[in-house]
Amino acid sequence: MRDVRVFYRKKGAMKFVSHLDMNRFMTRLINKAKIPIWFTEGFNQHAYFNFAVPLSLGFEGQYEVLDLRIITPDYSNEQLVLDLNKASIPDIEFLDAKEPILKMKEIVFAEFKVIFDELNVELAEKINGFFAREQIITQKTTKKGGTKDIDIAPLIKKWVLKENELTLILTAGNENNLNPNLVLSTFFESEKIAPVDYSVIRTMIYDKNLNPFK
Amino acid sequence: MNEKEFERLLLSVQKPGRYSGGEINSVIKDKSKVDVRFAFCFPDTYEIGMSHLGMKILYSQFNSRDDIWCERVFAPWTDFEEKMRENNIPLFALESRDSIKEFDFIGFTLQYEMCYTNVLNMLDLAGLPLKALDRDEKYPLVVAGGPCVCNAEPLADFIDIFFLGEGEEVDLEVIDLYKEHKKKGFSKVEFLKAAAKIEGVYVPSLYEVEYLEDGKIKSVTPKGNAPKTIKKRIIGDMDTAFYPDKFVVPFIQIVHDRAVQEVFRGCIRGCRFCQAGFIYRPVREKSYEVVNSQAKCLCENTGYDEISLSSLSTSDYRELEPLLNNMLEWTQENHISLALPSLRIDNFSEELLEKIAHVRKSGLTFAPEAGTQRLRDVINKNVTEEEILSTCKTAFEGGYTSVKLYFMMGLPTETDEDLKGIAELGQKIVDMYYSLPNKPKGKSVSVSMSVAVFVPKPFTPFQFEPQITKEEMERKQNYLKSCITTRKIDLSMHDSSTSFLEAVFAKGDRRLGAVLESAYKKGCKFDSWTECFQIEKWNEAFSECGIDPDFYSLRTRDYDEINPWDHLDYAVSKEFLIRENKLAHADTTTPNCREKCSACGANCYGEGVCFERR
Ligand code: SF4
Repeated sequence: MRDVRVFYRKKGAMKFVSHLDMNRFMTRLINKAKIPIWFTEGFNQHAYFNFAVPLSLGFEGQYEVLDLRIITPDYSNEQLVLDLNKASIPDIEFLDAKEPILKMKEIVFAEFKVIFDELNVELAEKINGFFAREQIITQKTTKKGGTKDIDIAPLIKKWVLKENELTLILTAGNENNLNPNLVLSTFFESEKIAPVDYSVIRTMIYDKNLNPFK
Repeated sequence: MNEKEFERLLLSVQKPGRYSGGEINSVIKDKSKVDVRFAFCFPDTYEIGMSHLGMKILYSQFNSRDDIWCERVFAPWTDFEEKMRENNIPLFALESRDSIKEFDFIGFTLQYEMCYTNVLNMLDLAGLPLKALDRDEKYPLVVAGGPCVCNAEPLADFIDIFFLGEGEEVDLEVIDLYKEHKKKGFSKVEFLKAAAKIEGVYVPSLYEVEYLEDGKIKSVTPKGNAPKTIKKRIIGDMDTAFYPDKFVVPFIQIVHDRAVQEVFRGCIRGCRFCQAGFIYRPVREKSYEVVNSQAKCLCENTGYDEISLSSLSTSDYRELEPLLNNMLEWTQENHISLALPSLRIDNFSEELLEKIAHVRKSGLTFAPEAGTQRLRDVINKNVTEEEILSTCKTAFEGGYTSVKLYFMMGLPTETDEDLKGIAELGQKIVDMYYSLPNKPKGKSVSVSMSVAVFVPKPFTPFQFEPQITKEEMERKQNYLKSCITTRKIDLSMHDSSTSFLEAVFAKGDRRLGAVLESAYKKGCKFDSWTECFQIEKWNEAFSECGIDPDFYSLRTRDYDEINPWDHLDYAVSKEFLIRENKLAHADTTTPNCREKCSACGANCYGEGVCFERR
């Protein structure tokens, strides 16, 4: 029995598959691909696998991570990727499989590319101004249903605007996950401008030292 | 509309997975390399349509041919429809996202009457004129199949061709004929005339209906060479019949989200209220070897970890024991759960019982349909009180604490005594539970009883019977409520307005087409969804068209009255239905097909149960 970390890309129609539905999708894909996966024991037996940080509905993901537990020792990582791709659809493409080095909870940052359909100079200046602020206050709904003000500036590790592409490195993981949609909506609201259309790609996830998560 | 705009739109509606396409096993072809494009439309939501076995069979079968590309279309939910209309997006097929107006065929499957407004809405969203007469060669042919076709007269104005019975063969014969006609310069009129000669093809525009002064039908006359009666088609040999080796596996959760394996068609029972029990006759089984290998193949190609067996009454399958023995072997090995319907397990071997004990059990359900043995005899429902009580007893002793029972209200000959019987049966189950020395400790029992309003359907012995009136129903409901004295019984009685409309359309004629169109124009759609159903609009539509719905549903029909569906031949003869109706009124049951043939007429195909060795 050994653990394997699989890297894949999620795009096209799969962008509309929610995290919950992804679970069901993967279960079936693993069955279909006949992966020698370990099943949990007990009353409700199920294939054992784990996703890294969930991807929001509508986002493309280029560095998605899934951990599997394999029972057949001589089943190679190359074969695993091959079998998964053979069973899969083009919108989920498996890239690589490796032995896990870090633990899932060591994911600290995620990198996003926000691509605006159109971006004029005026808007670009406003974006630059927005991210240069020391404090970026937004409202968050609390568990009790109310709202509270939070400052998201410390959660924004890096931002670069180049032409119509905004690269963001944001805090990710279980505790302080920052969604680029929240960043953008905060921007539009605080600048009092009508939202413009954009698409989002999650390009990478990192550990605390900004090394790619492995 | 470009990809990006489409994606943005999807993100603005509920459940974008309904419209995105791209699922595992969905079929993509090069449209320049096919001769016929077929839009298979299910006039309800994705979740319901994707659960439907008939659609999966035909989708795979059509696509198994290189010259046909069959794609799926579902009724967009109201939020997405709004966006489509706002952005001028015509109804598109999920696979190619092309507008279905460009297709050769638009085919609907009609599973229940309450989907008819969705059919009209989908035609409109596709950019087609609603009426068949207003569509010339420029437009796709609009065809329809499914159980409602046994009386699809209310849709006669809108559909070019109906397919009677099972579609596997007849649909392809019509597609082939279409290809021939296309080669020599297509004329819709000529094509329809030629198609009408194929058995199982009903072209409603080739029939003239005349009415008597009292509103009943005087005659139905074929025009030209159209046949006088149209006979349903069946597949004779189920072992060699096409069955999909894969299903499209949805991203979002659908109603029946599992592999489904058909074991037989038809039903030997002949419950007198059940349309399916008559229109799918005769029973034709698959051999257990075929069922087993098809089921295994399906699981392998879909990755589903759950499979169920499909038929009208799986415990009547003759080879159930060898089938389960074989299936349990590979399902258990591969962590696939086999969903078993409530089976009669009295004559299973110890060994099999032992194996089944490990299978996840579904809830305990019964459908006695009526509260007294007398009324169960009237409807020919072969379930006795002793059976229900003894099965419940075993189940309770095995740890079950709840049971669900289904009944109908307003059945022919029903009296208050019969309604009281429903309450009494529930009470007996409750009392039995508490009398058990080894009942589950510290838990109370819950008996839920669901009571629907009876809808008389064509091609059943009750086609001659009226439905009860709304007033009568309310009185009966109140009476039944008053009979229940314990809180352990949870009684649910459906809102019945849809049942009344269902009865009208089930037994309706062509004149209802106008009502349908008017109701649709007033905004009626998704009528089977309580949140969408608008009875006031329907009432307005009836009165504006000068049509009294009660004429169709509340009237006892004489045996010799010409019914709107009498020119359709579903193999069960009207004489047989009349015989059965008389037996019902004499509280007399009819043995099932395997006990004794009742000469219903379905032996005309030379297939199935009628020729089994007994
Ligand atoms: S002909 Fe006889 S055996 Fe055949 S379906 Fe009818 S009743 Fe059953």
